[in-house]
Amino acid sequence: MAGIKLSAVKKIYPGAAEPAVKGVDLDIQDGEFVVLVGPSGCGKSTLLRMIAGLETVSDGEIAIGDKVVNQMEPAERDIAMVFQNYALYPHMSVRQNMSYGLKNRKMPKAEIARRIDEAAAVLEITPYLDRKPRALSGGQRQRVAMGRAIVRDPAAFLFDEPLSNLDAKLRLHMRGEIKQLHQRLKTTSVYVTHDQLEAMTLADRLVVLNHGRIEQVGRPLDLYRRPASTFVAGFLGAPAMNLIEAEVSGGALMLAGTALARGLQAEAGRVTAGIRPEALRLRPAPGGNFRLDYVEELGGSRIVHGHIGAQRIIAQTDLAQELSAEMHAELPLEELHLFHATEGHRLSMGVSQPAAADPQLVGA
Amino acid sequence: MVENRPFLTFLAHAVLILGVAFVALPVWIAFVASTHDQSTFLSGSMPMWPGDNIWETYGTILGTGAPVPGAPPLTLMLKNSLVMALIITVGKIAISILSAFAIVYFRFPGRVLIFCLIFVTLMLPVEVRIMPTFKVVADLGMLNSYAGLSIPLIASATATFLFRQFFLTIPEELVEAARIDGAGPMKFFRDMVLPLSQTNIAALFVILFIYGWNQYLWPMLITTDEKFYTVVMGIKRMSDVADSDPQWNFVMGSAMLAMLPPVLVVIFMQRLFVKGLVEQEK
Amino acid sequence: MQTKRTTFRSWWLPYLLVAPQLAITLVFFIWPAGQAVYQSFLREDPFGLSTTWVGLRNYIRLFDSAEYLASFETTVIFTVCTATLSMGLSLLLAVAVDRMIRTASVYTTLVVWPYAVAPAIAGILWWFMFNPSFGILTYVLEMVGYDWNHRLNGEDAMTLVVLASAWKQISYNFLFFVAGLQSIPMSLREAAAIDGAGPVKRFFTVVFPLLSPTTFFLLVVNINYTMFDTFSTIDASTAGGPGQATTILVYKVYEDGVKGLNLGSSAAQSVILMSIVIALTFIQFRFIERRVQY
Repeated sequence: MAGIKLSAVKKIYPGAAEPAVKGVDLDIQDGEFVVLVGPSGCGKSTLLRMIAGLETVSDGEIAIGDKVVNQMEPAERDIAMVFQNYALYPHMSVRQNMSYGLKNRKMPKAEIARRIDEAAAVLEITPYLDRKPRALSGGQRQRVAMGRAIVRDPAAFLFDEPLSNLDAKLRLHMRGEIKQLHQRLKTTSVYVTHDQLEAMTLADRLVVLNHGRIEQVGRPLDLYRRPASTFVAGFLGAPAMNLIEAEVSGGALMLAGTALARGLQAEAGRVTAGIRPEALRLRPAPGGNFRLDYVEELGGSRIVHGHIGAQRIIAQTDLAQELSAEMHAELPLEELHLFHATEGHRLSMGVSQPAAADPQLVGA
Repeated sequence: MVENRPFLTFLAHAVLILGVAFVALPVWIAFVASTHDQSTFLSGSMPMWPGDNIWETYGTILGTGAPVPGAPPLTLMLKNSLVMALIITVGKIAISILSAFAIVYFRFPGRVLIFCLIFVTLMLPVEVRIMPTFKVVADLGMLNSYAGLSIPLIASATATFLFRQFFLTIPEELVEAARIDGAGPMKFFRDMVLPLSQTNIAALFVILFIYGWNQYLWPMLITTDEKFYTVVMGIKRMSDVADSDPQWNFVMGSAMLAMLPPVLVVIFMQRLFVKGLVEQEK
Repeated sequence: MQTKRTTFRSWWLPYLLVAPQLAITLVFFIWPAGQAVYQSFLREDPFGLSTTWVGLRNYIRLFDSAEYLASFETTVIFTVCTATLSMGLSLLLAVAVDRMIRTASVYTTLVVWPYAVAPAIAGILWWFMFNPSFGILTYVLEMVGYDWNHRLNGEDAMTLVVLASAWKQISYNFLFFVAGLQSIPMSLREAAAIDGAGPVKRFFTVVFPLLSPTTFFLLVVNINYTMFDTFSTIDASTAGGPGQATTILVYKVYEDGVKGLNLGSSAAQSVILMSIVIALTFIQFRFIERRVQY
């Protein structure tokens, strides 16, 4: 077990217009579960593959434990990786798949057998040990891929979008299993995904990447509550945060001539306002600022689509909420996020907001 | 079939039966010829049905050898053909799979140049560069030897392309997983590439065996010693003589035996054969 | 050119891996081909004592020679007849097999096996059937009043080599046509049937146009086959005769070089043939690229 330290890591592909990774610093603690998240092309997979040794590091330094690994072969780095398409060896049985890496490391047979039995029991794949991968379902293959990583007992697990090939229901289930597995093994893990929900639920610490740079690092709820930029704000949360062009004037957030919130101590001028759909308070009011367009029923709640002025806005309400074609929309000041209108970075509003709420259950 | 039309189905069967007959006719005639004795051919007309000389013809061919001047015993020629076909087949597969592996799984200076050189061999059939190639083999002292018969025919762009094409379809993650599992290039080749290529190797084996067995011009040029005659060219020598001294029963009997191994390979490995043929041209 | 995203690192191993193929290619392909080009600019005196540089004169002579031009013509006739006959028969058989469900594989096996017969043996078998004194087909022709003799009549000889070469190639064309037919979605034919097209109309308006990539591909392959691979068929049957009636280009290279020992001219002919192969290969590869985009 070991931590992973990235110092000014860059990746430049020959012939590419701009670097795929533009200098990333990241310190991953021993036993931590870190999720790299971002849209496709943000450099998250490249970063992971550089840690694995599957891509060369153009500049900077990667250390696993206290060893700099830039020049090491993947096999020498003491890591194990779980791939999106599982990458099981199709001509080998499950047992052979799991033992291949151990045999190559000249581990005694008895030890190999012990580890496979143990991992198979944990992952509940014991009945399939002698089957070929093609005889397994997607979920079972995913377990075998994880089994192959677990038996290695490596310093770190690297996950490259491991759940993307599964259907929605199975993805949810496997997500839970990965979380439990980590709680049990406490192995340092780096997990790449483009799915913000997966990222939020799995991460001890979340790294949001955009255009080869880190946008923000932190605990999932901290990022959710205090996104550092419009990019992070729009990326985390579903339905996504409303990002609307508005104006601060006279301590109020003005939109289409009405005040959405009052009591701001921010500089007057144009801003981008971030409003979580669940933060918006609506009440029926003839001539109100919010015009309702249509409603999506989610069962436990509903999503209300409408607009204020010319800008579309989404609100998530509970079922008790009364709806009408014209409503008044408002939001508490502490639920408002302000961002620079052109640069997109977070602006201070001079009010105390709930920072760093504890994500863990008390006593958990 | 979109709709049921009995007449069309009947017509299709008729066409196919005629086609099968057309395809089989020459071989049937050869078989019939091999079952009659010499005097039949002197009489001026060829029977359509087998005679009773079958055991004698094949017994002689396989036993003491056909009494046709200018040809060594058939068993020797069959053996030579087998040796030549096997060396060509195994050799082609071996050198092609290795070079395709290098071209796909490594990046090295000269890679594209080497690929182009191999590609060029597609455009240089033996028939076209026959004299200079003959001279090279003669200069290397490889006339009248198994090496001379087979090695110049071993380089094959098509087999290399086939393997390259196949390797490109092996998922990237498999190499990556294997590297993380501590496999170096040759270990990866042995543990992953070879087992995964099994069907392709078998399919190529069928095609290349037929190719090697059926060689004609090349063995004709570089063998002057009867010890190295292959069966396909040997039969041609026999038929040249037979034209003046009609021993057609022996010539056709030998031809039947010469066709047998590759035809059996096609019939019993039809699935692999079709795969090899169709994929080779992709 | 494509490689894997992840490649192995070694400065010597890849060279070691390509070495055998590269060595054989250089020694037995590239070097002789270079020699052929070089020799095509030389002339050897009749006793082989001295050679002189003659520039393009070997080529000029070839295109002045009625014999060589006749061989060109022979090649074109032979190629067109063989390709048409073989592809036509194969398509007919493939369409018939495509109607079959249970018996398709049996018929396929029965049609496909001549692929394994050596071209030289194919030549001998047909030569035997057309033997002027006792051949079975000669006998049949005689009954309908035709006096067959391919040893004297050039057209008979051409018919003989065309039949033998087309017969040998049927299996190959058949397999590709069957594969091509199977790749045409059933739904298209069903749609045409619903639109009121009968089986014959359906074939010419839907199936055959959709088969054109296969047909074109086979055309190139068949031209290649008849121009080069039929050498053995011809040598084992007519040996280019009577006269020059079946001497196709590739046979003439052999005759002038191996038998006539006219090395300069033979080499020049080789070079011309090589350029034809190169052209055909390019057509084939351009076409295959297009086929991939389909």
